[in-house]
Amino acid sequence: MYEKMVTARYYEERLEEEYMADKKPAFDISKGLIPGELHLAAGQEAAAAGVCAHLRDDDTVTGPHRPHHIAIAKGVDLERMTAEIFGRETGLSRGKGGHMHLFDPEVNFACSGIIAEGVPPAAGAALAAKKRNTDSVAVAFLGEGAIDQGGFLETLNFASVHDLPLVMVIEDNEWAISMPKERVTDVEDGSKRAGGFDMPGERVDHDDAVDVYEVAEDAIGRARDGNGPTLLEIQVHRRMPHFLGDPQVYRSEENIERHQQLDSIERLADDLRDRGVEDGDLDEIRESAHARVDEAIEWAKEQPLPEPETAYEDVWTNPPYGVSDTEPAVPVPGGDD
Amino acid sequence: MSDERVAVGIDELWPEDTGEDEGVVVDWFEREGASVEAGDLLCVFQVVKVNVDVESPVAGVLDEIVKEEDDVITREDTLAWIEPA
Amino acid sequence: MAEAEAEMGGEPGGRERTMSRAIVEAIATEMREDEEVFVMGEDVADYEGIFDTTTGLVEEFGYDRIMDVPISETSFIGAGVGAAQQGMRPIVELMFADFFGVAMDQIYNQMAKNTYMSGGSVSVPMVLLTAVGATYNDAAQHSQTLYGTFAHLPGMKIVSPSTAYDAKGLMHNAIRDDDPVVFMFHKRLMGLGWMPAPDGPKTPVPEEPYTIPFGSADVKREGDDVTVVTLGLHVHRAVDAAETLTEEGIETEVLDLRSLVPLDTDAILESVRKTGRLVVVDEDYRSFGLSGEIVARAAEEMLDDLEAVQRVALPDVPIPYSRPLEDEVIPSTEDIAEAVRATR
Repeated sequence: MYEKMVTARYYEERLEEEYMADKKPAFDISKGLIPGELHLAAGQEAAAAGVCAHLRDDDTVTGPHRPHHIAIAKGVDLERMTAEIFGRETGLSRGKGGHMHLFDPEVNFACSGIIAEGVPPAAGAALAAKKRNTDSVAVAFLGEGAIDQGGFLETLNFASVHDLPLVMVIEDNEWAISMPKERVTDVEDGSKRAGGFDMPGERVDHDDAVDVYEVAEDAIGRARDGNGPTLLEIQVHRRMPHFLGDPQVYRSEENIERHQQLDSIERLADDLRDRGVEDGDLDEIRESAHARVDEAIEWAKEQPLPEPETAYEDVWTNPPYGVSDTEPAVPVPGGDD
Repeated sequence: MSDERVAVGIDELWPEDTGEDEGVVVDWFEREGASVEAGDLLCVFQVVKVNVDVESPVAGVLDEIVKEEDDVITREDTLAWIEPA
Repeated sequence: MAEAEAEMGGEPGGRERTMSRAIVEAIATEMREDEEVFVMGEDVADYEGIFDTTTGLVEEFGYDRIMDVPISETSFIGAGVGAAQQGMRPIVELMFADFFGVAMDQIYNQMAKNTYMSGGSVSVPMVLLTAVGATYNDAAQHSQTLYGTFAHLPGMKIVSPSTAYDAKGLMHNAIRDDDPVVFMFHKRLMGLGWMPAPDGPKTPVPEEPYTIPFGSADVKREGDDVTVVTLGLHVHRAVDAAETLTEEGIETEVLDLRSLVPLDTDAILESVRKTGRLVVVDEDYRSFGLSGEIVARAAEEMLDDLEAVQRVALPDVPIPYSRPLEDEVIPSTEDIAEAVRATR
């Protein structure tokens, strides 16, 4: 877990550097090696690491628009993910998706850009596991802002009524862009939403990776044993702005500092030291994680950009005319592949 | 050119916690020769991600624009001169 | 340059504003005049709108009238419909038009249809304010315009300004109008600090309120040789293309639709009658949408006068992220110039 967390933290910090490097003196979001919006998850690592520690490659994870720490914890191909963020041909989506739309079928990970959009598909993966009688589970990550979205609320019922092996994990970083939780949600503890749906719910009030690990172990175990869905809420911190370029004028200095001082990585390190792990070992893990991230970024930057013609490819898996045995009467124009 | 022209300076407006000493003029909202009142919005400059409105210090005529759109600026710069009414 | 800007509207030499500030001026003025006007949206209060649509408003009007809402589009857009039916005038912001999917029922089945389904006994005086458009690598779920999708469904007035002057006039009309108006603003034209606009949208904007009628297109550039019909960002790209084409001896007329529903068919026909050549530039998907509609209207009325037709539109693919790919699918100034040349 420590390794995943330090990898994730350093990844976000390096991406911030790369992103901001060529956006001066005037910030222009479409310029630079990483254009577009970038939503970084520094401060949220414990939720991802503590939950994904219990997952296998055949377990499905869906994530939100702030996905990197989850992808790293799930074992997504780091190099190809980085290439995708840099918009390269060898990225996970050949440059078509970008950082909000990362797909790695090898480890059953996907993230998407619309709030709560990944929750119903996670239920779908859980449904498939159940129909096939495997013990795979699905986990949907969402923010505390997403618990007000219809798709999430519907899925609570859907998963419950069908007894699906699904765990929904709310990462409560307190802010839905600029809207603080108490302004838009009427409960302090989002996991209580589960009660109305006859589902167990639990909140971890501080992002201690070990506590998250233990709570997740129960929830995922419950799902794997065929005992249905669980809703978890984990308090995390948002050390960085909502997206890079957000001046966070809506957030007090005091709030930003408080989020930045509570460091779940340090807390885990202390815990590990208490259990007898040597500082030298921790340093080694951290250094090698940093080196790996640096290498992935360097590799990604050397990758070729996609050729413009590839923009027309990958709309379909099968030819436009489907899989009919009969050749189409007229060749179908505008199709690709 | 009168000696009494008033400078449109930005030193007090410069955002403090960006750690940057360079900015850029983003938009001008009045042209040279325009009549302005005190407090009228003249232009906007940006330091990293923070946008700052610049208002006219006095009523008068916008006599000369020194820093045009896209010009890089520092906090000591005078953006324009107003000929007071 | 000054000439092109003067044609964009407003009296030359007057105070200028960015498109976002012009929109905010209109909203603020209407809110001062009428207590029943209020704004609902995500991040409209302290953030002042992700795309600067509510700058300074929460300071002036407070959190009750500039309401942050939960991320629950179905419920807050539906609430807008309900409040409007009670006679209030909500301005409801759908942060990105791409998000319509989570709330389309309230939009197209309620907001758009209640007036008709009630035989006119009920009105929905609501503005649905929403951001559209690409060019900054926000990928498939955050870059669409969806002009065709919205314009196709009956019951909603649809506008999309290309300049500050047009934006303010259309917004005053939209708020005062008793019908639901979908006000689509192109992100790239707003004059945001983090996404620089081209030169065109910042125009002189009168301080006092004024309205621009819906269904009134505007000739942004006159020309006798070819008609380019477009809206939003591509008005500016078309004007740029026209500058290049002038040097080749081609005079291009650029017609800014400003409004999709109602659509100013007469303006399109009048221009094409003059030039005989029609180029439609559409930042929406090519098939089954806006560009086809414009061509169809011209063909219906004046097939004999039409010598050539070209469509420049997004191909039928989701919008890709990587810059060379996005540049390939979004119509460029050169794409427009090529299409014009191809009509001759």
